Amino acid sequence: MSRGRAGAPLRGAVGGEFLKAASLPATWATLGLTFLGTLGVVLMSARREARLDPGAGASPADLAFDAAPLGVVGAVVLGVLAVSGEYRTNSPGAGGGRQLTTTLVAVPRRSAVLAAKAVVLVALVAAGAAVTLAASLTLARPALGDAAGAHEPGALVGRAVGVALYWALMALLALAVTVLARGPVLPLVWFLVNGSVVSFSALLAKVTPVARLLPDLAGLRLFADASSIAVDDPLAPLPGGLVMAAWAAALLGVAAFVLHRRDA
Amino acid sequence: MRRALVDVTAAELIKLRSLPLVLATALGTVLAAVALTVATTATAASAGSGQVLAEAVPFLQVGTVLLGVLTVAADYPAGHARPALVAVPDRRALLLGKGLAYLAAASLTGAAALGASLATASFGSDAAPDALLVLGAGGHLVLVGLLGLAVALPLRSLVPALVTALGLVLLAPPLLAPLTGHARLLPGPAGGALYHPHRPEAALPPGTGALVLLGWIALITAPAVAGFLRRDA
Repeated sequence: MSRGRAGAPLRGAVGGEFLKAASLPATWATLGLTFLGTLGVVLMSARREARLDPGAGASPADLAFDAAPLGVVGAVVLGVLAVSGEYRTNSPGAGGGRQLTTTLVAVPRRSAVLAAKAVVLVALVAAGAAVTLAASLTLARPALGDAAGAHEPGALVGRAVGVALYWALMALLALAVTVLARGPVLPLVWFLVNGSVVSFSALLAKVTPVARLLPDLAGLRLFADASSIAVDDPLAPLPGGLVMAAWAAALLGVAAFVLHRRDA
Repeated sequence: MRRALVDVTAAELIKLRSLPLVLATALGTVLAAVALTVATTATAASAGSGQVLAEAVPFLQVGTVLLGVLTVAADYPAGHARPALVAVPDRRALLLGKGLAYLAAASLTGAAALGASLATASFGSDAAPDALLVLGAGGHLVLVGLLGLAVALPLRSLVPALVTALGLVLLAPPLLAPLTGHARLLPGPAGGALYHPHRPEAALPPGTGALVLLGWIALITAPAVAGFLRRDA
């Protein structure tokens, strides 16, 4: 098979998946709420900083990046939405089937469906991260007013890319788990509970240092300061990011295998 | 009217019992209660039942919130909403039946989960659990799940309702607590006053906490019910 023929279905599938994602109101609601929520948290913590400790010279970048965990929730929801709609039973008026059967008739190569979903998901999360981070970095300095310290522009781009990477990898993990669970409840409950302060991984890290290798903890140093992480001795950014990426790749591999073998 | 309400509630209970997700939620909540209790008593040497409750209930409330969401949202994707309204054209009766069915399912799940948790904790210590705290924990679990039900009514769909309810109950408090003292007025921390053995200085007293939680439920339920009674199915 020539490369053109192999590439064309994937391009078509990506286009199709993009249309599906863009036509879901929930996609835009998630992106919008993540954006507004993050800006809200940045504004509130800036006001608090300026009131409590006006002379401390708080870093606007730290303020902006400390609001990043909210984006993880948005990314996870996008990852779940990318798959959960396929398994939802349609209303009897729309035939009563599931969207997945239509999808697989249109794109019989199941790995191509999953790949297309992953591509669209990463693009959406990256775009969301770019807009959200740019806005919160821009907003943090005027919001702090006189309490703002100096910018450290060198680290800024690296940390922003780290945040986007962390969000995208979490979204891919959520996508893979949703394929395995064939529904939204299990991944949403798992990732939302784990994303709040009562985190299973952080609890586990108190018992065994191996928990540092769990995906959500491994990647933390991609954007967070070592001092602001509740886990002792977290992995450094590069190895941590690689461990997290390996988790995402492995789970996507399992999801592809299961999707391929399982009765739709 | 009363006879009809009994029938509607029974029908809703049968619907709930027949959903694998509901059974999995109830069972998962009980298993989570046991696992969390084991984890708490293992890490803290002298964990009393009060501390066990304080550690476990924030997780367990996910179970009852999910039950509340499922009571309403399970009707929508498969198109059960219309047959349900054909069978019970009186929407107030249908909604009341759903609410009662939820209360029954959530009370049962909450009681089973708390019972399992306390039974597990009693292996480690012989201190009797504080009945008031246990009741408070059960009350919080059942009430907080009503928020899930109320949120699902206008949203009519599982994912948005679950994300909204869990966002309000579970995600907002730790996010906002370091930023503003008003975070204690959110439903999770407000209801938390009902079952925390040692009240932190910032927290509300139990009575006020319960009232604030009821206020949240009223605030979200009233427009949701008004919409459900008028809106096109």
